[in-house]
Amino acid sequence: MENLHELLHGFTIAVTMPHLALMVIGVLLGILVGVLPGLGAPNGVSLLLPLTFGMQPVSAIILLSSMYWGALFGGSVTSILFNIPGEPSSVATTFDGYPMARDGRPTTALATAFGSAAFGALVGVVLITFLASWVARVALAFGPPEYFAVYFLAFASFVGMGGAAPIKTVVALAIGFAIAAIGIDTVSGSVRLTMGVDELVKGVSFVVAVMGLFGIGELLVAVEEEVHARGVSSKIDWREVLRAVVRLPRHGIALLRSAAIGCWMGITPGGPTAASFMSYGIARRFSRRGQHFGTGEIEGIISPETADHAAGTSALLPMLSLGIPGSATAAVMMGGLMIWGLNPGPMLFVDQKDFVWGLIASMYVGNIVAVALVLLTVPIFAALMRIPFVIIAPLIVIICVVGAYSVSNSYLDVIMMLGFGVVGYLFKKLFYPLAPLVLAIVIGDKAEDAFRQSMLLSKGSLGVFFANGLVTSLVVAGLALLLLPLGLQIAHVLRKPGERKSIAPDSEDTTRQKVRVT
Amino acid sequence: MISRRALEIATAILTGSFGVAVLVSSIDNGIGWTAAGVDAGTFPFVIGVIIVVGSLYNLARGYLPGGTLASVPVAITAIELRRLAGLFVPAALFVALIPIVGMYPASAGYVFTVLALPGHQSLLRSLVMALATPLALYVVFERLFQVTLPHGAFAAAFGL
Repeated sequence: MENLHELLHGFTIAVTMPHLALMVIGVLLGILVGVLPGLGAPNGVSLLLPLTFGMQPVSAIILLSSMYWGALFGGSVTSILFNIPGEPSSVATTFDGYPMARDGRPTTALATAFGSAAFGALVGVVLITFLASWVARVALAFGPPEYFAVYFLAFASFVGMGGAAPIKTVVALAIGFAIAAIGIDTVSGSVRLTMGVDELVKGVSFVVAVMGLFGIGELLVAVEEEVHARGVSSKIDWREVLRAVVRLPRHGIALLRSAAIGCWMGITPGGPTAASFMSYGIARRFSRRGQHFGTGEIEGIISPETADHAAGTSALLPMLSLGIPGSATAAVMMGGLMIWGLNPGPMLFVDQKDFVWGLIASMYVGNIVAVALVLLTVPIFAALMRIPFVIIAPLIVIICVVGAYSVSNSYLDVIMMLGFGVVGYLFKKLFYPLAPLVLAIVIGDKAEDAFRQSMLLSKGSLGVFFANGLVTSLVVAGLALLLLPLGLQIAHVLRKPGERKSIAPDSEDTTRQKVRVT
Repeated sequence: MISRRALEIATAILTGSFGVAVLVSSIDNGIGWTAAGVDAGTFPFVIGVIIVVGSLYNLARGYLPGGTLASVPVAITAIELRRLAGLFVPAALFVALIPIVGMYPASAGYVFTVLALPGHQSLLRSLVMALATPLALYVVFERLFQVTLPHGAFAAAFGL
């Protein structure tokens, strides 16, 4: 009950004119970056970040999180109408969304997607409302070893459940850690890994990395595939919207299952992209009409969309209560929290009640605002897609260059951003995951500090990570996730080779097919 | 034309060299255990080792004819490569010009070159876009958000 009381208090903060205006601005900007290929949620949020430094933290987080919701919705619009996923997490929506739209039912496809997305987001927010403060209370008792174990579990779940090649995930994570270590060491004060470049003493900003990896990198992928917007009609038939939404409860099982998958993947950082693929794959296996998937099935839209938004929303739970972001965008927002002078983690629930509950309440309102706005603006943003890519591409390059420069007025940042762009392109091309890389850049220092403090406590013995039941089970769970891909591979080898392909097409395979189709 | 294999190998070498650089650099900070706790270089050292070992594994996977790699032998075709260069080379030149001529002329020149040269857009339209870009940047950044963009060495020479 206490939570509900706090939530009501949060609503009094979130539902004020300035904050509602920020939500509208955030959602519109979010839909914009979601619709434009080459600009995505992590990138958009980090572009907006320097502009929030003068704001109240709660206003700033409402703006940024609304942008996130908008981007999640915007990505689905282009997936369905143009068969071009505006966001990596909406790739799975193209499989059934575009065929349905092409069949002359674009409104049905869009309304189904938005309806199930809103449901997924709602489940995520309800989960945060009731679980976040409890998790935070448990986490208040955490010492450095427990913290390190939780970080370890988070990183291990990327390797075990992220869907990408495990060793590539490990390399991406480790590179992120190394980048986080560049600059002044917070414990000893010594300068590390600057390779003789004095300007690197201040470290590498995650904003610069995100701008390059997601901005320039995605742009290069997009230009290579030469996206053609051959869209279907973007007219919205409001009666059909109502009919599609009324039909949704018939697919209750699919909705609930996808929401559960999404929440799970959001909290244990698997991220929205992995969640939507996993949800789609599971739906195809368990649906009675599984063999029709790919031709415009309702459940083929419901499953990835619900999971995508449930994961995107619940990714904020570990960010708020533990200081571990559940997705790349959440990582960027957490970086923002630290810049605004807040300390993400359980103490937020004690010290910054207004901030936490204002944000949680704004998530309810923000998602409603997002659904309404996205439905109203579909024709406008669809028209935007018809602007030739040759015009959009240089504008995005300029936005990224200026964005990287404005982080700390440094030209080196711009060059590094371009370098990260090349890395982002290579990684995307070869299915190295980018989310763990960003996550490691943002929380690498904290994980290292937790490790070193634990070592100080135990005087250098690793036994501290098996000292009590809690820390032991966290570490063991992390190790199990780390070794999961190896176990699965052994199981595959033991099975007959002929069966191998039909079991579970991993996300890499499906994305690759997608790439060839577009 | 670049094969998937070549791209995998190149990327593995890239990540591996970064790992080696991290490794070597972290030794300067000291690796091991002192009275003050874990040395500053220890964590980066371990990370460096992980990057190097992981890159070696990816290198081997890329080099050996593996099952998954064989399905997509060509990673980037010649046409795709030209499109990539068409985006990246002007962008890199744009960035290189910023410290010399400043953000505003560089962005105008960049937009004009990219739009007018391939002949996608008419000369007039390209010119309008090229002039509108720095204007928009000026209004949004220097006026609205008080962020000074680089004015370049030329402007500095004239005392602007």
